[in-house]
Amino acid sequence: MSQLPVIQVPKTFLSILNHLYEIEKKLALHGDPGNASRNVEKIKDAFREEGVFYEDPSGQPFKETRTDLDATISGQSTENLVVAEVIKPVIRAGLTELSRVVQKGIVVVQSKEIGDEK
Amino acid sequence: MSSMINFGIDLGTSNSLIAKFDKGQVEVFKNPNGFKESLPSVVAFRNDRILVGDQARIYVEKDPKNVASRFKRKMGTTETIKTQSAGSKTPVELSAFVLKELRNFVHSGEGVRSAVITIPASFDTVQSNATKEAGLAAGFEQVLLLQEPIAASLAYANKERGVDLRNSQWIVYDFGGGTFDVALVRIVEGELTVIDHEGDNYLGGSDLDARVVELILAPQIARRGKFTDLIGQMKSESGKYNKLWYRLLHAAESAKIELSTKSSAEVDLGMVSLEDEEGTVIDSLLTITRSELEEIIKDAVDSTVEMMKVIITRNSLRSEDLKFVLMVGGSTYIPYVRKRVEELMGIAVNTSIDPTNAIAVGAAYFAGAKEFNGGAQAAGSRAGESRIKIRTVFNRNSQEAEETFSAKVEGDLAGLFYRISNEDGSFDSGLKALSARITEDLPLREGAFNFFQFRILDGSNNVLDVGFDSIQIAQGRYSVAGQMLPEDICLVTDDVANKDTRLKKIFSKNGILPTKTKSSVEVGRTITKGSDDDIRIMVVEGPAEKHSSTNKPIGVLQITGKQINRDLMRGTEIDLTFEVSESRDHTVSAYLNGTGQEFSQVFKGTARQVDPRLLASEVLHLENRIQSEAEDATNNGRQDTADKLEKLLGKVHELMSECGSLSNDDVTDDRYKLEDKKRRVAQEVFELTASKRLDTAKAAYASAKQEVAVLVQESGNDRERHQLREVIAREQTFINSTNPERVENATSDLERLRWNILMRLPEFLTGMFENLVQRRASMNDQTLGKQLIDLGERHKSSKSWEDLRQVNGQLIDLMPETERASDGMRLYTGIV
Repeated sequence: MSQLPVIQVPKTFLSILNHLYEIEKKLALHGDPGNASRNVEKIKDAFREEGVFYEDPSGQPFKETRTDLDATISGQSTENLVVAEVIKPVIRAGLTELSRVVQKGIVVVQSKEIGDEK
Repeated sequence: MSSMINFGIDLGTSNSLIAKFDKGQVEVFKNPNGFKESLPSVVAFRNDRILVGDQARIYVEKDPKNVASRFKRKMGTTETIKTQSAGSKTPVELSAFVLKELRNFVHSGEGVRSAVITIPASFDTVQSNATKEAGLAAGFEQVLLLQEPIAASLAYANKERGVDLRNSQWIVYDFGGGTFDVALVRIVEGELTVIDHEGDNYLGGSDLDARVVELILAPQIARRGKFTDLIGQMKSESGKYNKLWYRLLHAAESAKIELSTKSSAEVDLGMVSLEDEEGTVIDSLLTITRSELEEIIKDAVDSTVEMMKVIITRNSLRSEDLKFVLMVGGSTYIPYVRKRVEELMGIAVNTSIDPTNAIAVGAAYFAGAKEFNGGAQAAGSRAGESRIKIRTVFNRNSQEAEETFSAKVEGDLAGLFYRISNEDGSFDSGLKALSARITEDLPLREGAFNFFQFRILDGSNNVLDVGFDSIQIAQGRYSVAGQMLPEDICLVTDDVANKDTRLKKIFSKNGILPTKTKSSVEVGRTITKGSDDDIRIMVVEGPAEKHSSTNKPIGVLQITGKQINRDLMRGTEIDLTFEVSESRDHTVSAYLNGTGQEFSQVFKGTARQVDPRLLASEVLHLENRIQSEAEDATNNGRQDTADKLEKLLGKVHELMSECGSLSNDDVTDDRYKLEDKKRRVAQEVFELTASKRLDTAKAAYASAKQEVAVLVQESGNDRERHQLREVIAREQTFINSTNPERVENATSDLERLRWNILMRLPEFLTGMFENLVQRRASMNDQTLGKQLIDLGERHKSSKSWEDLRQVNGQLIDLMPETERASDGMRLYTGIV
C-alpha cells in the first residue's frame, strides 16, 4: 500500500494566501469603503486558476477525526467543539471536486455551549 | 540476498521523525496529512479510537486522562500511564504506537522491516532495552540503537565529508521544542563516543514562546487598555481572554522565527476585535524587537551554557580543546542562542546541519551502513490475510454532509484494527479495534468526490489484503434534482498573438448543478459610446482544449457602443458571473468597471441561442481561416491537406449563401441546422490543421528556447537561470502532448523571461528608444513626446538605464493604438 505523493506548493503561495485571508478578515471586521474586497476576490480567483485555494473553517464543528485542522482547545470541555477562531485557513490544492489539503488550518476551538454564551 | 537497514528514526520526547538512506542520499519522510516532517510523540485514546500525532496532541492539556505524552522520559520504568478509556499503557506500548505511525510516512509503500532508533545519551541499559522492545512491538524485525549526539555528529560528518575529525572532540548542543540535551563527543580509536552529557527535560522552544507572550506581548496589550489581570484571564481555561493566549502563542512562535533574520517583528492582531475590559477597541499592532527577545531568553540560554561548562570542568578540558559546538534542535535557529553560546564558551558554533532533522538524518546514514539480518519471518505476519471476509454497505452517492459506512467482518479478528482516512488529508478515524460489525460516520466534502482509504491492520501495523481497500462517495452527485455538466463550459476570448480565439474554462465537466463562478476579462479594443462596435461574451460547451468553433455555442451576451453610457477603454476589466441552474439555464452577467453598468442574460437550457448575424460573421471568419490554412498547406507542400481544405471551403461557401438567406427573426430551426453544419466544418478544419499547429508550436518553442538560453547565459541572473531550468525540466510533459496550447504556454513563459532580461540590457533599451524616436511623428501628444525624447536622450548619455526604460514605456503609450498593437488582428470577441 503506497501513500499519495506529497504535493509541493511553493511556500510563497501559502504565505500570500495566508496574508490574503488576513486581509479579507480585516476588511470584514473594520469595513471596506474602497471595496478592496473585490481585489481580494480577484487574487483568490487567480490562485484558484493555478489550482490553489483556501477555505475558512470558522464555525465548523471539530472532532478528533479531522486532520485538516491543527487545533488548540480553549475552555475546559472537549465535546461539541466548534472552530471559534481561525489563525490560518485551510489551504487546498486541486479542483473544487478533487483536492488535497496542503496546509492545515490553525484554529482555536471551543465547546459550542461556551460559544453560545458569548 | 543481503540488504541494509536504511531506515533511521528519531524517537523524540516531543516529536519523532523517520528518514531513509538511499544511494548516498537521505530522504526525510513527511506526514501524508499536512506534509510536516515531524510527528508529535503523543498518543490519545478517545472513545474507541487510538489517535497518534497531531490529532492526539490537540487533547494533551484538555483531556490528560486519555492522552499520553512525554512518555519517552519514562522509558524503562515500571510506571504506566493510566488512560480512562484504554486502561494502563506502558511507555513501551506508547512508543510502539508512535513508531507504527511513522511507518505510514513512508510514501513508497515499502515495508519498514528494521530500523535504527535514536536514544538520548542519558539512557541506561534498561531504558535502551525498553526502546528496542518498543521497536520490536511496532513490528520491526531488527532494531539497532544509536545515541542522539552520535546521530547528529554523523549527519554533520556526512554533510561535510572533507572535514577531518580525527583526534578531535566537540559538543553536541540539542535545544529542541521541549527538552535540552548537551553531550561531549570524542573519537576514541576511530569510533564516535559520547564521553559525558547533561540535560534539562523541561526546557525547550515552547517555553520560550510562553515567555514572549507573558513578558513582552501581554504587557504591551495591557498598557493600551484597562485590564485587571490580563495574563491570568488569558491563562485560565474559563478566562475572558483564553483564546487570545493561544493566538499569541502562535504569534510569538512566528515572531521568534522572523527575528532570526530581522531586528524587529510585528504581531498583527487586526484579524480579531481586541477590546479591553470596558469594551474599548485597542490598537492591535504589537512590536517585538530582537533585543527584547534576547533579554527574556537570556536566563534560559545562560542555563544551557552552565551545563556545558559543567561537562568541560568535569572532564578537565579547556575551551580550546573542543573543535566546535554542533547546534541541533529548532531553538538553535535563534541567532542569540548561537551568539551567546559562542560568546560564553569561547568555542565556534557549528550550524551546518539542518537542526530540525539532523538526528533522523544521522540515524539513516548509520542505518545505510548496517546490514539487515532479519528476514526469516518475512511476510509472516501476513499469513492470515485470506482469513478475513468483509461485506460493506454504504451509499456511493450522497447529498448529506456525512455518510455512514458499515461492514460485516468474518474471521479471526483478534488483535486486528481498522482505519479509514480521507485521501485528501482531512479525515482519519484513527486505529479502531476490528469487530464483527463496524460502522463509521464519514464526513463528506460538498460537491466533491470523496476517496477514503480503508485498511485492516495487524498489531504491527501491517496492512492485510482483504480485497477491499477504498471507499468512494460522490457528494452532491446523481441526485434527483441535481445533475452533472456533461461537458466543460468555456468562455471564448481573443488570442491576439495568434490571431485566433482561445477557450477559458468556466466550469469543468462533471461539475454539480447548480453552480456559480466568477471570472474577469479585459476589454481588447476601445468601444466608443454610441458606436456599433461591440464586445461578445460567448459561452460554449465542449472540451476546453479544443477550439471555440468546434464547440457547441450556448449563448452570446453582446454589448454594443449604443448600450454604454461612456466610452469603454481598452484594458478595462469586466467582471463576469456565470451561473448554471439545475435545469441548465445559463445566466451570464457582466459588470463593466469602466462605466459602472451591469448586463445580464439568461440562456435557457432548452433553447440554444443562435444569432443569425453572429453566425454569418463566424462563417466568414471560418472562410478566412480555411483560405489562409489552405494557402499555408500549399506553400509547405502539404497538397493533400490543401485539397481537403479546398473541399471544406466549398462547404463554407454553401453555408454563406444559406446564412445570407436567413432573416434575423427567422422562426424556423434553420439557424440551428446551419450552426451545426458550421461546427462540423470547423471541427474538420481543426483536425486537419492540428498537427500543423502542433509542429508550429514546437518549432516556436525550440527557437525561443535556443534564443533564451543564450540570453540567460550571457545576461541572466540566478533566478532567471532557475526559471529556464524549470521550463526545460517540465519539457517532457508538454512536448510530447498533442495539445498545441500547452506548448504555446511554455513558449510564452520563455518569452516573458526573454523580455525580463532584454528590458534591462542597455543596447536593447537604446535600440528601442531610437526606434520610438524615429516614429515620433505619429505620437498622440507631440509636446509631451518631445519632452520625453529629450529626457530619454539625457538618460541615455548618463547611462541611467532604469530611467530610460520608463521613458520608453511612456513613449509607447503615446503611440496610436493601431501602431501599438503587435498586429492588426480584427478582434473577434473584443475581450482578452
